[in-house]
Amino acid sequence: MTWLTPHIGTQLVDFGSAMLLLTCFAIVAQRRLSACVDLFALQSLFLAMTAALVAFLTGTRHIYIAAALTVVVKVIVIPRVLKGVIERLNVTRELVMKVNVPASLLICGALVMIAFFITQPIIPFGHLLTRDSLAIALAIVLIGFFTMISRQKAVTQLIAFLVMENGLFLGATAATYGMPLIVELGVFFDVLVAALIAGIYTNRLQDAFDSVDTTHLSELKE
Amino acid sequence: MTGQTVTIAVGLLLLAPLVAGWLSLFIKGSRWLHVTNLISIGTLVGAEAIIARAVFAQGSVTAFGEIVYIDALSSIILFIIGTVGLACSLYMRSYMDEQVARGVIAPKRLNLFFFLFHMFLLAMVLATVANSLGVQWVAIEATTLATTFLIAFWRRRESLEAGWKYLILCSVGISLALFGVVLMYYSSLRVLGDVSSALNITQLQQVAAQLDPHILKLAFVFLFVGYGTKVGLVPMHSWLPDAYTEAPAPVAAMLAGVLETVAVYAILRCRGIADQALSPDFTGGLLALFGLISFALASFFILLQHNYKRLFAYSSIEHMGLAMVGFGVGGTIGNFGGLFHLVNHAFAKSLAFFAAGNIHRRFKTVEIDQVRGLTTVLPWSALALLISGLALAALPPFALFTSEMQIVTALGSSGLPREWTQPGTKFPVVMLLLCSVVAFAGFLYRITTMVWGTAPKDVVQGERWSVGHIPIILLGAVLVGFCLALPVSLRQFFEMASTLLVSR
Amino acid sequence: MIKDQSILQAIAITLAQAIVLIAVSPAIVGLIRKVKARLQCRQGAGIFQPYADLRKLFRKQPVVSTTTSWIFTATPYIVFASTVTAGLLVPVFASQMPLNFAGNIIAFVYLLALGTFFLILAGLDAGSSFGGTGSSREAIVASLTEPAMIMAIFAIALTAGSTNLSTIVHKTALLQGIVTDPSSHLMALAALFIVTIAETGRVPVDNPATHLELTMIHEAMVLEYSGRYLALIEWASGIKLLVFLTLIANVFAPWGIATSLTPTALSVGLGVYVVKVAGLAILIGTIECMFAKLRLFRVTDLLGVAFILALLGLLFFYILRG
Repeated sequence: MTWLTPHIGTQLVDFGSAMLLLTCFAIVAQRRLSACVDLFALQSLFLAMTAALVAFLTGTRHIYIAAALTVVVKVIVIPRVLKGVIERLNVTRELVMKVNVPASLLICGALVMIAFFITQPIIPFGHLLTRDSLAIALAIVLIGFFTMISRQKAVTQLIAFLVMENGLFLGATAATYGMPLIVELGVFFDVLVAALIAGIYTNRLQDAFDSVDTTHLSELKE
Repeated sequence: MTGQTVTIAVGLLLLAPLVAGWLSLFIKGSRWLHVTNLISIGTLVGAEAIIARAVFAQGSVTAFGEIVYIDALSSIILFIIGTVGLACSLYMRSYMDEQVARGVIAPKRLNLFFFLFHMFLLAMVLATVANSLGVQWVAIEATTLATTFLIAFWRRRESLEAGWKYLILCSVGISLALFGVVLMYYSSLRVLGDVSSALNITQLQQVAAQLDPHILKLAFVFLFVGYGTKVGLVPMHSWLPDAYTEAPAPVAAMLAGVLETVAVYAILRCRGIADQALSPDFTGGLLALFGLISFALASFFILLQHNYKRLFAYSSIEHMGLAMVGFGVGGTIGNFGGLFHLVNHAFAKSLAFFAAGNIHRRFKTVEIDQVRGLTTVLPWSALALLISGLALAALPPFALFTSEMQIVTALGSSGLPREWTQPGTKFPVVMLLLCSVVAFAGFLYRITTMVWGTAPKDVVQGERWSVGHIPIILLGAVLVGFCLALPVSLRQFFEMASTLLVSR
Repeated sequence: MIKDQSILQAIAITLAQAIVLIAVSPAIVGLIRKVKARLQCRQGAGIFQPYADLRKLFRKQPVVSTTTSWIFTATPYIVFASTVTAGLLVPVFASQMPLNFAGNIIAFVYLLALGTFFLILAGLDAGSSFGGTGSSREAIVASLTEPAMIMAIFAIALTAGSTNLSTIVHKTALLQGIVTDPSSHLMALAALFIVTIAETGRVPVDNPATHLELTMIHEAMVLEYSGRYLALIEWASGIKLLVFLTLIANVFAPWGIATSLTPTALSVGLGVYVVKVAGLAILIGTIECMFAKLRLFRVTDLLGVAFILALLGLLFFYILRG
């Protein structure tokens, strides 16, 4: 693979990160919940491919395991759980949004700029961390955070949290070529259990409130 | 203490809650559940004592090939976990049985309750003894996951709301902390180069001075905001009052006393590493500032409360803020005061929640206006409420008075760290004292309304002595005792730990 | 003028490019229809059916309403001419086009806008309400796509250092390795793709095969046309589609294009070009089958997304360099 020079490798990793960011924007611009879940699965697939690419280029074997886990957990298992939740709850779309789509996209653009600004002092480490991947990772985390605040349906908030975790995994892979294996496994376990718990929770919310619109969760006040 | 005994003790520390938790899923009969619970907690306390002795002798303990690291600071936190856990287990003996008897929960759910409780304990112990910052993060996230269902255990609408808010807010906060861990790993990789141990606290402490200050600054801010959500610092505290109100009383006691302390421990560990590369004023200032804001805001909210469980929740925020101020100001007195405050607060808060649980069961309401005449209705709980209320208001002769005075002294003598205020202003001290007077007034008014007066007619009077009252008596005695005379070994432990925290 | 290119060669290449554009566009339209038919489990008409349609229309006598003015009869010629001229500004099978001195991206955008402008006027000219509806809708879509398109192409232009399309393509084609600025280019590509779908009136913005006047945008404007006028307008919209596809294919993935003027390079360039454009046409056909047409106020959302993506592409260029 002589054409896979380090320069081209960096380009490919950048390309993967950019695809992740693009799917992030697509999730923000979406109203249909099942489309959000599909986009999340697509994003996780891109993430796994980028991670595998990093593993191939640097020869760090344990990232392959993390990439495989990403495919199993985030592309197959969690979207299936979420789709089941959506079907059971019969919620299809986000009807009223606090911030409309163009405005939220502009805010996400601003968050991307903020993320680049924050990660400026970090000097590149090795040839694979261009500042971009770490900055894009932080941008995805911030965008997930913003989506969680601005959306109402419990399922969308959960997807936003999972998007944040995707961003963190990208950051860990791009910046440090993955974290120690124990930590990676622990993080995956946490994410999986969190998704399952939230799935059960939305069920209970539906039973108790007859809706999963979190604006109804406003009985507890000062 | 041979190395082997210590290793066995550490192993027991981790295995006891794990085994007990899984067993609890299958045991039939609440009596055996409680017995298993008590055995596992007893093992925990015993193992801690052995480890504490070893730490006292050697300074720190590592076991299982650098996976576990325990020093004086961790031992203090383990001590808190063990004692409050034991108190809660004794309290649960009567509390849970009564709830099952009243039909609030099905007997089968009791298994789930104990399973979650043990997973919660395991996660907290793991967070305290783990050497790797990454494993510590995983454990703290695991505590969030384990406690979500514990908070929503009653399955009422308000409980579900509180549980969902807790899950989302804490998970989001802790994700930000993960970014901080990644940054910390990144900075240490550039110096250490070894992939698998670069997150270990032992390694980080050795090379801390060589780490890049810009990256560490960013990492610490993220870690502080993330774990600060768990501690309940303003403005990340909004999950706290709801969660404490809706959770069952023993769970609330564990959350308030122990979980927040473990989160503070995580922040202190990261701070210890960051301080050697950055100037300690930066981290100290951050801690002190947020602590001061939390203290001030919480004391004002205390004035407004009409729900006694929420009152205690805000008091938690207030006291955690005060401990943060102590750690932020630093120095020997500041750190000693902060640690002492953490211990005292854990005891006082669990006492308060035990009393609240009893009151809730009898009066079936959480409104302060509707609770009157506790001395006739529930004499022992009235005593508990009085002791904890006065302690949380930081009155002598309770230990919280001593620790608060230590923190105020430290603040007064060295002031807020240089980077954040003009040196020599007395404004922070004045504000602190003012807010504590406000909180004191609010607390005293509320507590006295509840304890004295004529009891409502439709409430059953009289309190039967049960196992659940033993911890109340013990905790009360300890609170008074610590103020008057701190046992020498404990004092030396605190001093060891605070030396660790004082930055070079 | 480009060096080592005689005037004869220049005229020959320009003519060849024009002929290719004019000749291939009905086939592309036919290909998209065939792909849609196959995906909908129909046989569908052949790929070369649009040629037969155009021949039929040229033979028929046009019927013109008496309430129209000169604009009505002049518009088909203006639209056809402006679209072909715009097409001559984009490199098709050779990256160094003779006409590149005459115009750059801005000229390209505004030549296309000229055609749209006259089409809008013609829709209003006959005085029927359907024409007015179509024109007002087209005005909304056009005004929203224009900034997105310019931003997207600017993002690319900044990377290449010039707004001249043939310079952009030539430089990207000669660069070894893949795109130098993936995130910025990716955003621009996404934006440009949405703009293409909007400008050429494809699902999900507008359904080109609809018979319901209330759902039409482009078709409503040309409702009054018949005979050779209709043929010219249909042909021009096909050429516009081809020009947009050429823009996307050659600006973002120009490899294979002829960078020198040898016969082998030219034929390879032509072949690669046809393959690329056919691939994009199949993609568009597939997308048309995957989505439903958006309601009009959702179209503005979609175009807002395109604008912001283009804006981000631009910003990424600055941030990544700076």
